[in-house]
Amino acid sequence: MKAIAPALVFFALAGLVPLVVRDPFLLDSLILILLWGAAGAAWNIAGGYAGQVSLGHSMFFGLGAYAAALAGTRWGLSPWIGVLVGAAAATATGFIIGYLSNRLRGPYFVLATIAFSQVLLIGASRWRGFTAGSEGIPVPFRAGFWTLGIADKRIWVWIILALAVLVWLVELYLERSRRGYQLAAVREDEDAALSLGVPARQLKVAAIAVSAALTAVCGALWAQYVGFVDPVYVFSVDISIRFALAAILGGLGTALGPFLGSVLVTTVETYLRAQFGGIGAGFVGIYLILYGVALIVMVRFAPQGIVGWVGARLRP
Amino acid sequence: MILPQLIVSTILLGGIYALIAVGLTLIFGVMRVVNFAHGEFLMLAMYLAFWAFALLHFDPYLTLVVSLPLFFVVGLASYRFVMRPVIHASHNVQVFTTVGLSIALQNVALVLWTGDSRFVRTDYYSMVVRLAGAVLNLAQLIAFAVAVVFTAALFAFMRWSYTGKVMRATAQDRDASALMGIDTDRVYALTWAVGITCVGVAGVLLSPIYPVYPTVGLQFVLIAYVAVVLGGLGDMAGALIAALVVAAVEVIGSYVVGTAWKEVLYLLLFIGILVVRPAGLFGTRGAEALGT
Amino acid sequence: MSLLSVAGVTKRFGGITANRGISFDVAPGELVGIIGPNGAGKSTLFECISGFYHPDEGEVRLDGRRLTGLSPDNVCRRGIARTFQKLRPFSGLTVLDNVAVGALTRTKDVRHAREQARELLARVGLSEKADAYARTLSTGQRKRLELARALATQPRVLLLDEVTAGVDQRTIPGLVQLVRDLHAGGLTLLVIEHNMRVITAVAQRIVALYLGEVIADGTPDVVARDRKVIEAYLGQAYHQP
Repeated sequence: MKAIAPALVFFALAGLVPLVVRDPFLLDSLILILLWGAAGAAWNIAGGYAGQVSLGHSMFFGLGAYAAALAGTRWGLSPWIGVLVGAAAATATGFIIGYLSNRLRGPYFVLATIAFSQVLLIGASRWRGFTAGSEGIPVPFRAGFWTLGIADKRIWVWIILALAVLVWLVELYLERSRRGYQLAAVREDEDAALSLGVPARQLKVAAIAVSAALTAVCGALWAQYVGFVDPVYVFSVDISIRFALAAILGGLGTALGPFLGSVLVTTVETYLRAQFGGIGAGFVGIYLILYGVALIVMVRFAPQGIVGWVGARLRP
Repeated sequence: MILPQLIVSTILLGGIYALIAVGLTLIFGVMRVVNFAHGEFLMLAMYLAFWAFALLHFDPYLTLVVSLPLFFVVGLASYRFVMRPVIHASHNVQVFTTVGLSIALQNVALVLWTGDSRFVRTDYYSMVVRLAGAVLNLAQLIAFAVAVVFTAALFAFMRWSYTGKVMRATAQDRDASALMGIDTDRVYALTWAVGITCVGVAGVLLSPIYPVYPTVGLQFVLIAYVAVVLGGLGDMAGALIAALVVAAVEVIGSYVVGTAWKEVLYLLLFIGILVVRPAGLFGTRGAEALGT
Repeated sequence: MSLLSVAGVTKRFGGITANRGISFDVAPGELVGIIGPNGAGKSTLFECISGFYHPDEGEVRLDGRRLTGLSPDNVCRRGIARTFQKLRPFSGLTVLDNVAVGALTRTKDVRHAREQARELLARVGLSEKADAYARTLSTGQRKRLELARALATQPRVLLLDEVTAGVDQRTIPGLVQLVRDLHAGGLTLLVIEHNMRVITAVAQRIVALYLGEVIADGTPDVVARDRKVIEAYLGQAYHQP
């Protein structure tokens, strides 16, 4: 109970904010913090808990985003259907990536995930007949809950918060359960784990598939919230790195870590955008320079992330 | 007759890709590091050529003379401050270090020079040479020639020089080399610097041919990685041959399905190799599962 | 009726035949030692039995059921556990959790697994270290951890790979006693060992390997005096009458 207290406080606070705050800009920031946190946590399931570092997770995010957008524009379906379809497509893709994770180790696997996401990027950008090509798809706003046409940002906070808590619970399960222990063993030393009867291959595939599905849900909800799906952004390597960054800064393989990491990353980004956005698009790049440097510094000096750093200081 | 044109284009393109890929595979072969920032150094070299041209009216081939020692120093410096601390760390740490470097460099370029495309428009940029029924762009031809000379020099160095042998020894067995008295840290510094110099040269050679913008590195590095994996990570000769194969796929693919989809072709080739024979055409089977 | 039967196991790597036609049986409750100079193929044999390598020819059976071709985790679930010569603890996990991972192969309940782990740690003498991270252990302690972890999977046959290697002289007797106790408790053991004094004292039977083949199979006294064994270790010029 003690260990999850900080997380409970975090989510409770997030849930209470909309009751007190009306400013749409602040609410928007909170929504993005929770959303990128959830996506980072979803990545963390594969990258942190299962030890399968992928830099191509944008493929799942994009699949979810497109599923939601296409459900609305092409077939007039509820975007919730899009969420399900996106999750299904991502899970299927996740199985393929999972298969690759058993054939390829280390850098080969990372490269493969990047290649996959780029194939999807190019496919989505060029396949005009299906995805409206590189112009992207504007997501139609149809008022109502089942069409996820919600103008009130406070409701969005709670929807995304629900998603965040869902992903957090999955992470928690991975920390406490039998499968979680086995996965930790696989992460530490796959062969030793195999020798102890741990079904390493199957666990890795399962972790990646779950991670993929949850990432897609994030993508689908993001698309509905933001209202526009641009293939070059949604399948970009930048987004994949952003998921990893949130998890690493916050604490790889910890449940709350990605959310804390997202707080840091999103607030810095929003602040810098606000400060420099007007001066010229170039300055917006400053926050990305900070990301890059932060990544280099963090993995070298504080690989346990914020959570680990704080945890080490709190431990007697 | 389109064939001579395709062949010639392939060779010219392949020569440049080879230079990029060979440096990348050298770094992996000796240091076991996957350098995700390789493309960014290429981008910086292209910008160097551009600004030298725009501000000082230096012809790129003049800049080449400067870029060689300059990028060697850049290589040594980036090794010392960024790579050396993590050279013995876990593979994930190394991946994120080079990824972080890549993001930082891309955005330094973005902040300093904006996202606009820049192009080195030399007087001779549209000059062509006719050879055996094919039309070659002069700049491409020169780029190819220099790339070949440089790559050949690199091969010779690795094969016959003492330092080259030392580097190959370290690639084969890090610990044994250290036990033999080889200063592995210096070998790594040198390897990294040589790899960076290769892209430094390649970038300048590319500047009269391709436009430069902050993210141009990604496109080339992905191509380079396809060549590196196809040729077998660490295998320089393999990377060379594979670079030609990738260039062929791109050129022929461009011709058959058009430029819009050609990137998909080599990406699919890449995924295909990874699935079927990840060790590449020339690598030892099973090397990819060891991650070493 | 043998518990573990190795029949004609052959394993090649390119031009090298690491194991050639290796055959022997292990009866329930036996402690069989595997000896041989470096390169004899002992570790390869273990890899073949535990499922990490698949033999090119031959079979391994447990209780009559085929093990060859199964994945390592499957082999473990069938009842073969092993330790590694180069110790492989889960460094980032606590000692208790290390053992619990093994126990979780037999039970789905995490709490139950941890209880079992505590008992096993007591058995190998690592109780005080239960909450320490595995990376903080000394070599001797790591050996015990590896043992406890493997035992947690409730194996029918335990493969021990060089359990006395790399530890100082004072720690050896303790480890040997541990192995003896396990054997006395009814466990079937297959033990690779370099230390002749240890293995001849502990084993009921010894199988000697040389250049991938079995050159002797019998009680310790017989094998220790076997001419081929002596030649293998000391070279032909040294054989004694």
